[in-house]
Amino acid sequence: MLLAEAVAPASELLAESEFPGLSAAFAVEIFILAMLAATAFAMIRMRQLFGVAMLSGIYSLLSAAFFVALDAVDVAFTEAAVGAGVSTVLVLSGIALTAKRELPVDRERTFLPLAIVLVVGAALVYATIDMPAFGDPNAPANVYVGAQYIERTPEDIEVPNIVTAVLASYRGFDTLGETVVVFTAGLACLLLLGAGSIRGGGRHDDEEH
Amino acid sequence: MFTAAAAAIIVAMIIMLFRAIAGPTVYDRVLSVNSFGTKTVLLLAVLGFLMGRPAFLDIALLYALINFIATIAILKFFRYGRLSASMADMDLIRGDRR
Amino acid sequence: MELLLDILSWPLLLAGGALVILGAVGVLRFPDFYTRTHAAGVTDTFGADLILLGLLLQVPDTMTGIKLVLIFLFMMMTSPVATHSIAHAAYAGREAPLTGKLLLRQNVPVDITADGEIKEAAE
Repeated sequence: MLLAEAVAPASELLAESEFPGLSAAFAVEIFILAMLAATAFAMIRMRQLFGVAMLSGIYSLLSAAFFVALDAVDVAFTEAAVGAGVSTVLVLSGIALTAKRELPVDRERTFLPLAIVLVVGAALVYATIDMPAFGDPNAPANVYVGAQYIERTPEDIEVPNIVTAVLASYRGFDTLGETVVVFTAGLACLLLLGAGSIRGGGRHDDEEH
Repeated sequence: MFTAAAAAIIVAMIIMLFRAIAGPTVYDRVLSVNSFGTKTVLLLAVLGFLMGRPAFLDIALLYALINFIATIAILKFFRYGRLSASMADMDLIRGDRR
Repeated sequence: MELLLDILSWPLLLAGGALVILGAVGVLRFPDFYTRTHAAGVTDTFGADLILLGLLLQVPDTMTGIKLVLIFLFMMMTSPVATHSIAHAAYAGREAPLTGKLLLRQNVPVDITADGEIKEAAE
């Protein structure tokens, strides 16, 4: 197949070239994952809902750092715009409408959720066994549409840059969705800061003390 | 060199995580989240150099801004009980207290 | 030239990393909220600045350098404001600073009187 031949040298190049500091980056990933797990357990154990909201902010910061470490910069960008800024604040607004502390759950009622989580987790782990190796030329991502994009971009879109063709045309709706998400996050930031801040605010002192 | 800096930042992040979990007050948690955000920005910047891709600095730049806005929004929420408070509302709240 | 830049940037990054850790230890160990704010400032100002300066000596192109300078400027502007508003919110929220004898005897419940004085809470 034409594309398999075209991709094979590239993947060989990837396997041979040693990225500087790859092992150090790997260690960073391990530590970030460990912190993610610790934060998640702390969120489960904590009863004070405000603390949980703060920890979810930390969780979001960590996961964005993890996406960057995995080279998924665009996902990290969206996570930064939505997760760190807006979702913490949405959770806080939710807390304002409800109680400040979480009620303890009966021990009998925890078994069904635990079973569901275990089954889903096992299914996900089982699914990772079928994942192709990193940079595999026969991986689905490299074989089906990817080949079509490379072959047909000159005739279909008539732009020299394939990445531009994929982002702006083949996956135009996906890009539109991402842009809408980031735009919403930007609007939310303006709303959060409030009209008073935009006008420059006014004199503010603490004479009530 | 970059590895040493990244290691230092990660150690500091772990310590800060303890403070965020321990609390005890709401403000301690906000402080540790804010400080954690600063460390994330630094880690992203160092990570870009560590992986040989300084182009990642865009994310660090974005984070430096988002972290600030999140902190201000959280504190505003605390002070006034909701997020959409304008200056007039703030005056009203202060008037109530007197 | 490259060696010189490396020699300059090593101590900057190491000192920055050390200050970041010191600030974090301070936040973990200091007795009350306001002293912790003080410790967090070490990370936000000197720790961050030294690390960014150390990275600035290693930039491969101008654009990266500009981005680093922008991050530096944003941090210079935002982190004092953020720290100030945290402390201000804590003060407005009647979070009592530990002072005098209370600072030495930790875990004493405190009370703020009407004139803003801090006293040991009555049983």
